[in-house]
Amino acid sequence: MICRTEVCKDRKARIKQITNHPYFGFFIITFLMLIVQLLRAAGVPVSNTLVRAFGITMIYIIVALGFSILLGYAGLASLGTAGFVGIGTYILGYFTKNLEASVFIVILVSIVGAIVIGLIVGFISLRIEGMYLAIITLGLSEILNEVFKNAVSITNGTNGLGLDSQLILFKNLIFIDHNTIFIVTAIIMFFMMILTLNLIKSPTGRALLAMRNSTSAAQAMGVSILKYRLMAFIVSTVYAMLGGVIYMSYISFSIPTTWSLAFSLNILAAVIVGGSQSIYGIVLGTFMIFGLNLGVFQQFDFFKNNPAISVMFNGLLIILVIMFYPGGLIRLVTTTYYKLKKALAKLKTKWREYRYGSDN
Amino acid sequence: MAPIINQIYANFLEKRINSAKTKTEFYDNYLPIKLQTLEEKLNRKIEIIRLKHKQKLLALEIPAGIESDYLKENYEAEIARLEEKFYWKQRVVKASAKRKGEEAATKLQELDKEKNIKASEIKNKYYPEVSTDAKSNYEINQPILIQSLNEKIDKLQDSHQEKVENFKNKTKKAVEKYQDINNNLSTKLHEITKDKVAKYSLEENVVLSLKSLSMHFGGLKAVDDLSFDVKEGEIFGLIGPNGAGKTTVFNCITRFYKPTYGDIYFKNIYGEVVYLNDKLVHNIIKEGIVRTFQNVEMVWELNVIDNLLVAAHTIYRSGFFGHLLNSRLLRQEEKVMRRKAMKILADLGISDYQYAYPYGLPYGILKKIELARTLMANPKLIILDEPAAGLNDAETADLAKVIKKIRDEYKATIFLVEHDMGLVMDICDTVCAISFGKKLAIGTPKEIQNSKVVQEAYLGGE
Repeated sequence: MICRTEVCKDRKARIKQITNHPYFGFFIITFLMLIVQLLRAAGVPVSNTLVRAFGITMIYIIVALGFSILLGYAGLASLGTAGFVGIGTYILGYFTKNLEASVFIVILVSIVGAIVIGLIVGFISLRIEGMYLAIITLGLSEILNEVFKNAVSITNGTNGLGLDSQLILFKNLIFIDHNTIFIVTAIIMFFMMILTLNLIKSPTGRALLAMRNSTSAAQAMGVSILKYRLMAFIVSTVYAMLGGVIYMSYISFSIPTTWSLAFSLNILAAVIVGGSQSIYGIVLGTFMIFGLNLGVFQQFDFFKNNPAISVMFNGLLIILVIMFYPGGLIRLVTTTYYKLKKALAKLKTKWREYRYGSDN
Repeated sequence: MAPIINQIYANFLEKRINSAKTKTEFYDNYLPIKLQTLEEKLNRKIEIIRLKHKQKLLALEIPAGIESDYLKENYEAEIARLEEKFYWKQRVVKASAKRKGEEAATKLQELDKEKNIKASEIKNKYYPEVSTDAKSNYEINQPILIQSLNEKIDKLQDSHQEKVENFKNKTKKAVEKYQDINNNLSTKLHEITKDKVAKYSLEENVVLSLKSLSMHFGGLKAVDDLSFDVKEGEIFGLIGPNGAGKTTVFNCITRFYKPTYGDIYFKNIYGEVVYLNDKLVHNIIKEGIVRTFQNVEMVWELNVIDNLLVAAHTIYRSGFFGHLLNSRLLRQEEKVMRRKAMKILADLGISDYQYAYPYGLPYGILKKIELARTLMANPKLIILDEPAAGLNDAETADLAKVIKKIRDEYKATIFLVEHDMGLVMDICDTVCAISFGKKLAIGTPKEIQNSKVVQEAYLGGE
């Protein structure tokens, strides 16, 4: 529709105001995630694996968002993500099964736990940087993994802890079906995206970037390195633990082998492949690393029988992305978008020439 | 015990007073921004109401046959649109005929006919036969419409006025409240501290004072027993041959190094004398000392304005959760800060670059951006580490102008280290020459130029 009157133009400007709003993109992503569930509700036969793949990808997006604040903004590398997510799952499992505590209490406890762990790692990060920090956090994660394996009374050891899909909302045990948790997860992801965007666009995000570029310049501008390193670690750990809690309530099963080094590396890969400073990039990266394997490859028997192939695919992806798109795949998406736009404009002029004849 | 508690209480009061001061400043700065946005909103609303009114009036005017400007405008616009449409249709016909090698004349004639019919239709639509009924209807309704329009606009303006008044009152109340708090706390603070003589004192119009500052790295005496005073509002130059310890002095003042011994005193933005040796690196900026670095230290991922906002970091009142939830206070503060940043950029003549990313900008511009960044934190003392390094002559001359301008307009004292003697002698009021960490001479540029000791240090003895 072409607008000629001023009133109509005003209406159009208002619509544009909504679509240009930074949260609108997140809304679209959340909606796209929910489509599988909606299709299923409408009666279309969608396989369980696909729905589960979407659910798990959303949970991992939350974890990766926290990690991107740490890596992309604070410039600190950590390989402890797996351990932190694992703690989240076991907190929910233990508190629901043995103590019969409400989910809200579990979330509170996991946040407090995340703050404590974040403080510990943050203080370590003050003295150690770069590769060495990564190795130290890796050590922490491995210690946690051993604890998961051996603290049988809490974690049920290597057999894994199951929940029978029971949750306690306020007082009573409630059996919540996975469809509801799927939707709740999507909503939580939406809000986590908004919070992340707010944080990285705020003075805090700018201070983190300044710290990443040069610690001495950041200090000269009044940025306390201690405060912001601790903050970055705490935020990322809170995201990871929250991811763990949601994982446990959605999958209802947690086993130590999931929370090994491979998981930390995969989250790192997702953030790097997608683009460590872009929220859309992280969504894309998580899909490439986790979603493709869970949602597409697992549908075929060939990949099911040879699980190593998806790992090889991930490796190849990382090599290609780092070689050709150091800024992440999101750069590729934006550049192709602009190229496509240019090509379309060219095509349009050509078509006009054909239809209307040349101007002379 | 009592003195310690008193001291803690006094510190607490000082912090409260300072925060109250920043709050009043914030409200003062936010008022014009809010008023402007309110005004813009009102104007847009009024414009749309006027347009709607014109359209209603048009519906009355057309049957009554009254020729108004708005009617004529509409008619002409519609005719123009028709012309354009048929122009393109003609082009299509001509192009297809050319492709097929046929004659286009008959088709063009048909198109012309069609166009004439449509044009007459439009004319009939806008200038129909006049009926007396419609005329009387117009005469009755037109004044009513105009009255309703005026009423609506009046209503809007009234509500706008009300909003403005409300906001002004709110701001006034807030400012008064914080001023009251300020006064109360100040009297309390005075009561506590009246018995005590000020801990440190500086001579009048001295901003920064180094007292026998020494910095030893192992056996190397980078700075050795150095003392000098920097006066308020002057441009103070520190010169010396390579390795004389100039940058070490800077790093001692800004607390990047902890001096081996010696004291540094500074009169901060609130007029109190502080002992800088007690302060932490990132708290130096709160006292009013901002520094730049030899090699420009930008945040390369942020554009120029955001780079400036990084330096305003300590002025923000909103905390972590405010940032996380993008609170209202944060949004207001961002508006205030952005306006301030734009003003500073305009003052330094680099507002063209405000949305550019620093990566790839000329070095001279980057240096200016760094200068602009120091101004964001309301500095009292700006410390420049070799501002002219890597600049050509024209850029250096420009920089000298900018530095003088900053001193005059922002009432800041400037303390610089420089190798470019032309610049130093041109802009500095006082120059201090050091060599191997020891003071050689201090005085006006002329005196330093004629000083034998300095000449020896630079050129070597006979």
